[in-house]
Amino acid sequence: MPHIVVCFKWVIDETYLRRAPGGGLDFSSVDYKLSDYDRNAIEEAVRIRTALGGTVTGITVGPPEAAKGVKDALSRGMDAGVFIADPAFVDLDPSQTVSLIAQAVRNHVGPFDLIICGEGSGDLYAQQVGPRLAEALGIDCVAFATQISLEGGTLTAQRRLEGVIEVVTAPLPALVTVLPEINTPRIPGVKDTLMAGKKPVRTLAKGDLGATGGPRLQTLAVRAAAMERACEKFGVEEAEVIRFVDALKKRGVLA
Amino acid sequence: MAVLWIFSETTASTKELLGLGRELISAVGGSITVLMGPDGEGREEWAAYGADEIILLPPLADGLAMEAHIPVIAAAAAEEKPDIILLPATARGREMAPRLAQRLDTGLCSNCVAVRWSGGDIEMDRVVYGGAAIQTVKFLTRPVMATVAPKTFSPPVPEEGRSARLRELPPLAAGTVPGVRIVEKREKRRLARDLTQAKVVVAAGRGLEKKEDLALVEEVASLVGGEVGCTRPLSEELHWLPTELCIGLSGVSVKPDLYIGVGVSGQVQHMTGVRGAKVIAAVNRDENAPIFAQADLGIVGDLYEALPKLITALKK
Repeated sequence: MPHIVVCFKWVIDETYLRRAPGGGLDFSSVDYKLSDYDRNAIEEAVRIRTALGGTVTGITVGPPEAAKGVKDALSRGMDAGVFIADPAFVDLDPSQTVSLIAQAVRNHVGPFDLIICGEGSGDLYAQQVGPRLAEALGIDCVAFATQISLEGGTLTAQRRLEGVIEVVTAPLPALVTVLPEINTPRIPGVKDTLMAGKKPVRTLAKGDLGATGGPRLQTLAVRAAAMERACEKFGVEEAEVIRFVDALKKRGVLA
Repeated sequence: MAVLWIFSETTASTKELLGLGRELISAVGGSITVLMGPDGEGREEWAAYGADEIILLPPLADGLAMEAHIPVIAAAAAEEKPDIILLPATARGREMAPRLAQRLDTGLCSNCVAVRWSGGDIEMDRVVYGGAAIQTVKFLTRPVMATVAPKTFSPPVPEEGRSARLRELPPLAAGTVPGVRIVEKREKRRLARDLTQAKVVVAAGRGLEKKEDLALVEEVASLVGGEVGCTRPLSEELHWLPTELCIGLSGVSVKPDLYIGVGVSGQVQHMTGVRGAKVIAAVNRDENAPIFAQADLGIVGDLYEALPKLITALKK
């Protein structure tokens, strides 16, 4: 019966981000959520376990506050969690996150058959951790799957590329990243949330794992995206809609 | 002086990366190498478009996918140490680039939308927080690596009479052949209408309540002489429209004179595909939807109220 590892991230809910005066971002009223894409990854792992048996172990890296995310992820049907926690584990480079997860998987998770990641994280959306992790662990990688199945030690996945759909196989253990259309994530109920509190979580501190190396990228600025196109807003009243059409004509994009 | 490598599987994205590559290299001097499949198809063109060198990758055994080139490219890059490696932010590029970056132990800017030199450093911009913000990064390691959003950079003007050196890389060593095998390949259906060539694109988003309401969007599109596209949930989850009309990172990129997003929230996956539009317009009832931060003009209001009025106004 397969042991599936699923990676997830507790991220800033971007709907709470506001533009600060001066073009920066106002993080003062932000809330956090389990990254949307990771909900599909967890759902897929749980779906396979429901069909084939086995266990699902979730793994995340984050500051201690991300414990909420571990509980949220567990309420979605995972069996156990591994939480790599340190106040410094905020805005890590994808390579650093991968170093931590790879070490935890090798030394603290035990043998596994499949790792499932979302296509990217909901905050920075670099889409790197999945493919990098496969390389770090030296296993095969299939990215952007829309359908997966396991049988006799082989992963079969359908993946969507620009002009073509490929069905591929890979020997296990392997890593797959999944697109949101692969499933519809469940919405946990009260009972799921209560049960989540009773599931085992292994917390790993910085000292339990080796060094990650320094960051490979340096963020120089994060500014509100509104700078590029100053949106002129219109109401929905008839006169406003006519003004909107006139504005389009004035810009020469309507005949 | 900088050595820049480009790897891409399509002609269109190779040209765009050459456009960006020439811009970067012309500022500091250096050379551009294009890595391509063993058939070398179309390579005569690359010299005119700015390539100084073509590297032909070794043939792949049957059933191996493009990613099987990773070990060869990584080994060559580790030995020859190019300063910059660019891939397109296509599905293939977005898988291959992080895997190469991991092998080369270097940083990667994913889905870059702007590049510039600042002092001796390259700075890049990328879109984060679902389209709400732009992150600017610089690189602390070499090579500098990036996947570049499609349709972000224009192909260079070809220069006749340029030539490029040609060389080949040796095949995969035993033991480096990946286990992934293609067992089936299906070409996506091509539609008669080509979104990428449309002058006006009207995109339907999650704000639509039911499939029948697409008629409203289609009517607006026909009145402005445009084509209908959609966000990913509409084609991939609800299956209201064919996959070919999905705009964004995992769909097509468009570059129309006018894009109108109807009930489109403005998530980065979708907006990446429309950044090249001359004018971006939006209709959304949520004043705080990220699309308004990326639009030139926007109607804040319920689309079921706005579209009928828009249709009337456009008919006048």
